Amino acid sequence: MPVYATTEELNATMYELWTAIKQDPDMGPKLLQSKMIAQFHYREPDGRITVDCSDGTEMKIYTGECAVKPVVEMFMKSDVAHEFWLGKIGIPVAILTGKIVSKGPVNQALALLPVIKPAFDLYPAIYSKHCSSAVAAK
Amino acid sequence: MNPFVFHSPTKVTFGEGASWTAAEVAKDFGATKTFIVTDAILMKTGILKPIIESFEENSYCLFTDVPSDSDVDTVDKAAAIAREFGANCVLAIGGGSVIDTAKVVNICLSLGGPLLDYQGLNNLSDRLGPLICIPTTAGTGSEVSMVAMVKNHKEGKKLLFGSRFLAPDAAILDPTLLLSLPPKLTAATGLDAITHGIESFSAVISSSPFTDAMCMEALKMLFENLPRATANGADMEARSATLIASAMAGVAFTNSGVGIVHALAHATGATFGTHHGLANSILLPHCMNFNMDSIANRYALISRYLNFSSSTNDNDAAAALIKAVSDISAQVGLPTRLRDCGIPVLDKRQLDELAFLASTDPAIMFNPKESSAQDIIGIYERAY
Repeated sequence: MPVYATTEELNATMYELWTAIKQDPDMGPKLLQSKMIAQFHYREPDGRITVDCSDGTEMKIYTGECAVKPVVEMFMKSDVAHEFWLGKIGIPVAILTGKIVSKGPVNQALALLPVIKPAFDLYPAIYSKHCSSAVAAK
Repeated sequence: MNPFVFHSPTKVTFGEGASWTAAEVAKDFGATKTFIVTDAILMKTGILKPIIESFEENSYCLFTDVPSDSDVDTVDKAAAIAREFGANCVLAIGGGSVIDTAKVVNICLSLGGPLLDYQGLNNLSDRLGPLICIPTTAGTGSEVSMVAMVKNHKEGKKLLFGSRFLAPDAAILDPTLLLSLPPKLTAATGLDAITHGIESFSAVISSSPFTDAMCMEALKMLFENLPRATANGADMEARSATLIASAMAGVAFTNSGVGIVHALAHATGATFGTHHGLANSILLPHCMNFNMDSIANRYALISRYLNFSSSTNDNDAAAALIKAVSDISAQVGLPTRLRDCGIPVLDKRQLDELAFLASTDPAIMFNPKESSAQDIIGIYERAY
């Protein structure tokens, strides 16, 4: 059974997580500096989040369809995203085993990884807040 | 044990003169029109003649304009010619640049659309047309790998393509094509293969018993035969062994990844144009020293297998392997310092840029030890 029951749960969790990253005094400015536009496509359930740092002044976060053209796109099952944010699966193994598809300049995506690492600690609480199965499991 | 997926889809044929069967191999894949990708220098040597003559007239189209540092313009030009010809098979004959170019041409030819749409990892959704590779160096492993890299000189960027669908359908290993390879190139490409073997074996998060076995045997063959192949280019046994070992190391690294040596060599190559194998050979012992506290046990396994040490102490055995790496580089006549490769002294800003390039290179994902920018600069300075 997928860890997210619905697209709404998934999008709400990811939106809050990226908002926390945006507001973090360390992670937020570093991401803005990258000027990266990254889009994450999830399936089972479907979901999409776009993180736009392109203007260097404000990180914009969009869920669902959006008109912004991403520089880097990552495609994965929602369960893989969950494992990633829990620190249970590394990007290298996920790529080698075909669990993550990366489109665009991979090096730019990799540059973000060390920056967002502190968000691993924030994820479990945000996930529990939005995800019905996590609440039920308590 | 690590969970792993192991792909080895390339049919490998080895033999003296095996390349002369290229037309038959193409026919086996149903090819009626083969697009042959190579470079002008190889054409001039005449060694490609029997391969090309194995094709019937009008069944092939020859593209010889691949530069040593191929880029998207070359790919676009070649793909346009291949489309015009109606090619349904691509044959690459050459070193890493030629083979990588042919792989990317095959993407354009098979899938169409803008090339940038396919940049990335696992980003090809469909099988490509048949691709046959005949390497003329023993080092890159590109003839069996699932990756290709081409530069975009105009934008100063490199494009990485990685997918199981990029693996060539066939690799023909013909040692007679290497007999005239100059000693320096033999040595540098051979050290590239040694680096693949050591880094793939060291990739503890992604290696598997399959890749380990390939690495061990490849390294044994390379350490035993590279000095011979470099000293005497006509030594067919040594040429054969290094060619086979290079492909084996290629199968290993394409399944388990490489590491910090390749990340730094890519950064050095992108900044100064340093030959990839040469940069690897200089950086390898310094990077191994950096990784020692994380992976001495793995280095020790290689060291004992290759009889560089019989010590039961992992650090001692690993140190013997690092010494053997330095020794073989010196033995085959390669410079051991980056400053001897025409690289100028770098200021702090340049060092920071180099470290950033290396730290965001995909190869570094697989290194057994995490590295900070300062760590990378430290390695570079020790290698300088």
